[in-house]
Amino acid sequence: MRSISLSTPASFTASRVVVLANGVAEIMQSLNAQSIIVGRDISSSEDSLSQIPIVTSGHQVLAEKVIALKPDLVIIDASTGPQSAIDLIRSSGVRVVKTPESWRLGDISVKVRAVAAAIGAQLQAEQLVQQIDQSLATSQLSWTPRVAFLYLRGTSSVYLIGGSGSGADSLLEALGAIDVGAKELDRPFNTLTAESLAQLNPDVIMVMSKGLESVGGVKGLLKLPGVAQTKAGKNSAIIDVDDSLLLSFGTRTSSLLQALAKALEQVRG
Amino acid sequence: MKKSLPFILLSCAFFISLSIGATQIADFWTALINPGSNEILWQIRVPRVTAAVIVGAALGVAGLLAQGACNNAVAEPAILGTSAGAALGAVLGISVGLVEVGTVGAIFCGTLGALLATSLTFKLAALRGALSSFTLIIVGVAVSAIFTSFVGIASAMASRADVRSISFWSFGSLALITSENLIGVSITTIIGVAIAWRIAPFLDRLSLGDATAFHLGTDVSRIRLLALIGLSMVAGGAVSTVGSIAFIGLAAPHIARFIYGPSHRQLVVHSAVIGALIVVVADTVSRTIAQPNELPLGLATALLGAPVLIALVAVKNNVWRTQ
Repeated sequence: MRSISLSTPASFTASRVVVLANGVAEIMQSLNAQSIIVGRDISSSEDSLSQIPIVTSGHQVLAEKVIALKPDLVIIDASTGPQSAIDLIRSSGVRVVKTPESWRLGDISVKVRAVAAAIGAQLQAEQLVQQIDQSLATSQLSWTPRVAFLYLRGTSSVYLIGGSGSGADSLLEALGAIDVGAKELDRPFNTLTAESLAQLNPDVIMVMSKGLESVGGVKGLLKLPGVAQTKAGKNSAIIDVDDSLLLSFGTRTSSLLQALAKALEQVRG
Repeated sequence: MKKSLPFILLSCAFFISLSIGATQIADFWTALINPGSNEILWQIRVPRVTAAVIVGAALGVAGLLAQGACNNAVAEPAILGTSAGAALGAVLGISVGLVEVGTVGAIFCGTLGALLATSLTFKLAALRGALSSFTLIIVGVAVSAIFTSFVGIASAMASRADVRSISFWSFGSLALITSENLIGVSITTIIGVAIAWRIAPFLDRLSLGDATAFHLGTDVSRIRLLALIGLSMVAGGAVSTVGSIAFIGLAAPHIARFIYGPSHRQLVVHSAVIGALIVVVADTVSRTIAQPNELPLGLATALLGAPVLIALVAVKNNVWRTQ
């Protein structure tokens, strides 16, 4: 997946930024601001960031490590913690900005603008948002597939299916596909028995790549009771998407949507 | 009537279990007499309920063999280390890539593990002279704990998907059963039950104490070895296919003993039928009570089996008639 990048030369209001919010590093790269990132959290895992030190242990922020990098800006979101570490960073005089999390396609531009405002790149942000909006206006599919988004981790005894608010529903809706989980189930993730999956009978099953690997690939997935009885199982209509990309809702999402559209055409039975 | 009651109840439970589930099956009886007509019924529900019957029967007989061989009221596969050994055997076989879960190969590994673990319990318990019931239970619990931690370690380290999780091996689940999985566990269950049936008269004598049995002309150690092999086969087959399901090995033979007395031929049949009945009912409850989610099977079997056992002891506390 290629991200969208701008050619606009950049000057920013911050010069040393520690990124502790999911997806923000990706947006800063698209804003041509990678050079000012001096620290990152473990979820900012793009290869191009590999030289930048990680300042979290697991998902816990280590205040000492952050302060040692002498940042003038730390970007966090609602999931960043523990609060005591954030307070410590703030009390050491560093500017801390909280950017919104993104769970739907519509959240991307809000997040881009928030990140841009924090580093003083509003002008570039408008260009970027425009580019993203253009590429999100994807071509409609030639059919209306009924898709189930399954969250798989090893062969546990039940399935987790994405429902309303899982994030996958937003992507599928944008493509004109039907998310069968979102249609039937209220919670973002719901457990489901083999029989209930067979009854939902999706045309296509969408999974994360590592999840698919954890059940032994497509072959292993098709062996699980419930999957084999669906149209998706019978036609091997299984689409797997990179784990960190699928629900990231950042600047790489538009190219993900195009790839998804292509995959949904390919698996048409 | 008393003799046939468990059979009648099991038949009713079998059909009720087939008829209910997350999906409403239209024209259930028509679908049932036309094999393959309804995919959800024939590919998901029939294999699952059949597995419940086989596994329940296997565990009921496993408990009976354990109790009979040890002449001990609380001996059962989970206490003697048999279940934990079976789980470890299967997990190791699968994680080194030797076998796949649910196949005859995995069952072979499970049975071998069960045999080794149970023998280990017996050997360690007899280290300081004669085998006492108390030492056997203590050592068995310890051996089970060790083998269970190895199962946890092996399943956490394994990269293969079909190694499954520690919760599968600890609580058991019938959710992933397909019709191919039924072959292996049927074979071990039939052989194990046949062994139990064959040695049942000798287990009757063993219940009088080793010395009396010996004077009645019984080769005590040979019978005990056969019981151990039978126990490892039924428990090994069941555990390596569906994980460890609590309480059946203890509850089924005790309930059978309470109703039908101490004759082991009778007990083989009735422990099997009662074990099957408990697992079918428990699995039906576990997959319907919290739809579309399902509960771990081991929780439901304990919830159903334990109160019955307590009630039996409360009503008539000489269920174990030889002590």
